[in-house]
Amino acid sequence: MRSKLIQRVLGVPGLMVTALSLASQLALAADENKAQPEQKPAAQQQQGSGISRETRFPKIESGKWKGPRTHDGQPDVQGHWSNTISNHSNFTDPQGGIPNDPNPNRIPKGPREERAPSRVSDPADGQVPFQPWALEKVKEFQVKFHNPTEPQFIEPLARCAPAGIPKSLYWHGYEINQYPGYVVFLFNSGTRIIHLDGKPHLPDNIKLWNGDSRGHWEGNTLVVDVSNQNGKALFGRTGEFISENGHVEERYIFNNDGTRYNYEAVFTDPTVYTRPFTVTIPAKRWTAEDKPNGWHFETTLAKHSGKEPIIDRDERICAENNGGFGLGAEESKK
Amino acid sequence: MNTLSTKQTFRLRGYRTVLLPIAAILILWLLSGGAEAADKKIPRLPGGKPDFSGIWQTTSAADYDLEPHSNRKDAPPGPGIIEGHYIPYLPSALEQKKKNFESRATNDPAVKGFTLGVPRGIYYPEPFQIFQRKQDLTLVHQFGHSVRTIHTDGTEHPEDPYDWWLGDSRAHWEGDSLVVDVKHFNDKTWLDRAGNYHSDALHVVENWKFLDPNTIAYKATIEDPNVYSRPWDISVILHRHLEKDFQLIEDYRFTLDYDQYYPPKPDAK
Repeated sequence: MRSKLIQRVLGVPGLMVTALSLASQLALAADENKAQPEQKPAAQQQQGSGISRETRFPKIESGKWKGPRTHDGQPDVQGHWSNTISNHSNFTDPQGGIPNDPNPNRIPKGPREERAPSRVSDPADGQVPFQPWALEKVKEFQVKFHNPTEPQFIEPLARCAPAGIPKSLYWHGYEINQYPGYVVFLFNSGTRIIHLDGKPHLPDNIKLWNGDSRGHWEGNTLVVDVSNQNGKALFGRTGEFISENGHVEERYIFNNDGTRYNYEAVFTDPTVYTRPFTVTIPAKRWTAEDKPNGWHFETTLAKHSGKEPIIDRDERICAENNGGFGLGAEESKK
Repeated sequence: MNTLSTKQTFRLRGYRTVLLPIAAILILWLLSGGAEAADKKIPRLPGGKPDFSGIWQTTSAADYDLEPHSNRKDAPPGPGIIEGHYIPYLPSALEQKKKNFESRATNDPAVKGFTLGVPRGIYYPEPFQIFQRKQDLTLVHQFGHSVRTIHTDGTEHPEDPYDWWLGDSRAHWEGDSLVVDVKHFNDKTWLDRAGNYHSDALHVVENWKFLDPNTIAYKATIEDPNVYSRPWDISVILHRHLEKDFQLIEDYRFTLDYDQYYPPKPDAK
């Protein structure tokens, strides 16, 4: 039987010790380069390979839901989803490459206005309204991330920590499942269980990578209140963060043909920010009609006697670091 | 009957006259759907299949040691959950099991926060939640927040997949029992804290059945020709968590070693 080397963006070249990991890192860099159009920034979805590089996306208004419903009456949005503009390399300039990146293949190309907008949609400058001390920490991270000499400069996702909020939504593709009383997000790194039954949040002193989520549906919009975050998951390789005092109010606004949704969330944290700000992340649905790829739609077709395509998905587990940091090397020997 | 005296026969007949009408009533009750009504009490999906949705946990001490054992400093005594009491190890595998036992304080994958595997995640003493749809069951284990999918959509095991921590689970219904065939495992998980183990040839066949709406009888047949001389069976009872507002609490415990480095904090003045 084959042993699996899960492809991941490790992003910590200074600490990657195995040839295999290095190879996958280089493959990734090449892949990102290939997926980034040099002359035509308007070229969008690259289905079948690479990361989606949509530069503009439609606004979706909150309103009535006219699509199908689950048995318990929720808008039925179950299936495979992913972001459409880029992954976690850069939070506020999603197609702008990683700041201070020593790898020339990943230097951003073209003027800023031809790239996708900042995920910070308010304030208008697209920047996280950090308090001065926090902005200093973010800038320090952006410099030291490329050759981390201290543990805090390693992106926790590279150690298999859950991607957290909001990064899970622009990491690999993910699945949304629905059940009476629940919406469940199965991410590549971590799982979020959204409780719809109105039970109270966990006590304040319990802090979690994905926080504690309470949601309800308002027409086409899933509204989720997130508390109890541990503040440890960074928003990307650019190091933005929230603290354990933060609070997030999320709105997942689905269009009525079930093909897209926009995530609009207000982040509040008096410890880290000077004011609340809004994060917007576009998402699209993937179906059995789409060709699987290594980023947004990591699936295969299941073996069965019927004719309709049934999508299969590998188990979601971060194997090489399923334990303390450093086990990556041990894992790749097999 | 021949040995019965006339008096005894008479007495039996006397009982019969009483018992027969009771039996008749019982049969009529059964025919009228009384038994079916009792059976309907277990939760069911819209399509009629048993609905195992809920948060479950065993009260057994199986995870300390599947086999019967006396007390020890790191475990309470327990009767074990194996049919026939003992795991039929091959001689060389028994040696490895003994080594595992000696090093359990540091080498048990659970101590490291690793995904527990199948079936250990089921009888590990922490809750797990089943989310069920017609086409699948998704099990979220509080320990490590591991996620396992059990397919009930008629699909088959992939031919030559990767090895997985939780294996590949394909299920079918036999009446109200969910029968799950699990294979394509890696060899990185243990079966319990006592070092009982398996190879990547592990094959598990599970049987899930309601005893009543809040209790599941879980059985599994465990097979691994590299490690055991024959298949062997375990059984545990799973209880539904009924506490008000009970929920899983995320437990990505493999992050604990580096949790302290995040998030950034203001410099001390």
